[in-house]
Amino acid sequence: MVTKLKEVDILIVGLGWTGGILAKELGETGLKVLALERGDLRTTASDFSLPNIRDELRYVHRQEMMQDAAKDTITARNTQSQEALPIRRLGSFLPGEGVGGSGMHWSGGTWRWTDMDFKIRSNYEDRYGKNFIPADMTIQDWGITYAELEPYYDKFERVAAVSGKAGNIQGKKQTGGNPFEAPRSADYPLPPLKHILSSKMFGEASQKMGYNPFPRPSANASQAYTNPDGSKFGACQYCGYCQRFGCEANAKGSPHMTVIPIAMKKPNFELRTHAWVTKILKDSSGKKVTGVLYTNLTTGEEFEQPAALVLMCAYAFNNVHLMLLSGIGEPYDPISGKGIIGKNYAYDTGVGGNLFFEGKNFNPFISAGGTNTVFDDFHGNWEFDRSKPNFVGGYIVSSGHNTALPIGYRPVPSGTPAWGKEWKAATAKYYQQAMSITTRSGVLPNRYNFLDLDTTYKNGFGQPLMRLTFDFKDNEHKMGQHGADIINQMIATMNPQKSSKASGARRNWAFTPYQSTHNTGGTIMGTSPANSAVNKYQQSWDCSNLFLIGANVFVHNSAYQPTGLVGAMAYWTADAIKNKYLKNPGIMS
Amino acid sequence: MKRIYFLTISLFLSHGVFLLQANAQDLKRGEKLFEACASCHSLSKEDQNTVGPSLFGLFGRKAGALEDFRYSPALKRSGIKWNQQTLNTFLVDPQKSIPANRMPFDGIPNAKDRNDLIAFLKDKYK
Repeated sequence: MVTKLKEVDILIVGLGWTGGILAKELGETGLKVLALERGDLRTTASDFSLPNIRDELRYVHRQEMMQDAAKDTITARNTQSQEALPIRRLGSFLPGEGVGGSGMHWSGGTWRWTDMDFKIRSNYEDRYGKNFIPADMTIQDWGITYAELEPYYDKFERVAAVSGKAGNIQGKKQTGGNPFEAPRSADYPLPPLKHILSSKMFGEASQKMGYNPFPRPSANASQAYTNPDGSKFGACQYCGYCQRFGCEANAKGSPHMTVIPIAMKKPNFELRTHAWVTKILKDSSGKKVTGVLYTNLTTGEEFEQPAALVLMCAYAFNNVHLMLLSGIGEPYDPISGKGIIGKNYAYDTGVGGNLFFEGKNFNPFISAGGTNTVFDDFHGNWEFDRSKPNFVGGYIVSSGHNTALPIGYRPVPSGTPAWGKEWKAATAKYYQQAMSITTRSGVLPNRYNFLDLDTTYKNGFGQPLMRLTFDFKDNEHKMGQHGADIINQMIATMNPQKSSKASGARRNWAFTPYQSTHNTGGTIMGTSPANSAVNKYQQSWDCSNLFLIGANVFVHNSAYQPTGLVGAMAYWTADAIKNKYLKNPGIMS
Repeated sequence: MKRIYFLTISLFLSHGVFLLQANAQDLKRGEKLFEACASCHSLSKEDQNTVGPSLFGLFGRKAGALEDFRYSPALKRSGIKWNQQTLNTFLVDPQKSIPANRMPFDGIPNAKDRNDLIAFLKDKYK
């Protein structure tokens, strides 16, 4: 029995960063806004206070803030010829669940993607010729520009309390920032976090080698701060419990202490937690959505929730999954290359090396999500000639400790036994003496990396799981090799007593260990319904009153972390809905 | 034993402290400095406890006394009564002053900053 409820004006599915931003912005219109969230409501006071939050077993190993893979997961395989199997315990990526979503347990890395990414195909074809991009690399221009997004990047950085050092303010280069960034209208709202020893040593070495190091921009408030909406931040305490934890000091920009409580104060906003959306409903024409079906997880009751406008703000995977389950848009087929939904899944990758310095005390327990120094000479630097290493994209190089926890953080030089007395002695010795250097590159989309519905396995509601077919391709291997060479040159310059060198050896993607929660694509953005699922406002081409908001619209993944762009595009879309769509509903141009 | 340890520290620290008379400028500074506390502590009765206990009526209150706030056992045990001097001692380095309290704040090492902050709090409730 499905109970049909009263229609709302705007329905938001999933209340994390994007849902929170849309709820806050659209709540101001006075329209009735309802958010459905399948998880719980958490607050700093009741859930993240000391000493309970600093529990590595509970939050890292038992994954308390993450999606429950026993209820719903995805199946995974490297190639179409393999049988995909369900990921029964999350590993490679950790989508969050509950109000605040993954925005509660992120590190805070906040970057501005530029036209180098948004015009990726034109840029590479102009500079390197039409044959440079491999035939099976399905990249295309996004149809959005940096100039359009700049004010929204700025807005997100101010709301989320991003600490950093500008490299380019209105075209004027700034010493100490990223010289390759696009011009920004103003500096970051907060100065960079303090340096820790490892980030300082790395910065000095990279400068010596002619690179351009700068502090990694992060939504970790370097000092007490009140954002433009009046949300109050404490100063980061460098407690070391950032990634995978909620912030005990209200210093990490998170939706639960910024946009969401503001939305919740509005009488026209309603939040229903433990509400699991199973389907987006279409009208008979198929050109409009009419609402969603959801189940109340506490009672098992099923509801139809009608809405004039549906905003899909769940994790990227879940937005794509619901499109496939609801039969909206044409599913992608890698053999024919036809169809859109599920296309251009991308991820990120990187290589790393460890350095061991006798007599140093790195104090890795003192860190924040963003206590890193980083350089962008092999990504944002368009002058870097890709023709010789022969890859599209690039990578950032960084160092500095983050969330180095007592159980999991046990760096030892290669050759150390993996267990027993010698291993124990080595972990005790090297805990204070180890640092690492890593690269991070975006995976470029490939014709054979995609999402579709699994033909065997089902979730707790009897619906097919989403199936991920993914592997690293040649382009990733080439970036890995190039990055490993750079890291190994840096190790030689820094000259530690011991080191484990970076390896660019070819490897396959595996769903363990943890790599990153930067899953992108599946309902990509573009210039026409023929090449994309949404327009530049994240509006579905198929149903004009449906928006698919989040990293699922990314055409490819970049070396920069995704959240800065996800946040900026959420504000951009909110403005477009307020100023254009609500005045004249239909496909926006 | 713990209590003796605490008293020793507080005596030691209070020696280095000279309390200035607060003027309007100091109060303004104190208000600005309170931003570091504001994300967890409210000052108004209406909007009481958030992440930390409300600071309404702080002066003269025993540490750990609000019934509807979950304090650390360490703070409850401390036996402190909040006044200018105890606050001044506590705020230098809260973890050192009352070990195992659950306030995630590393303290205010600068004596003038502490003085102005306390003056602001005092002025707020005079």
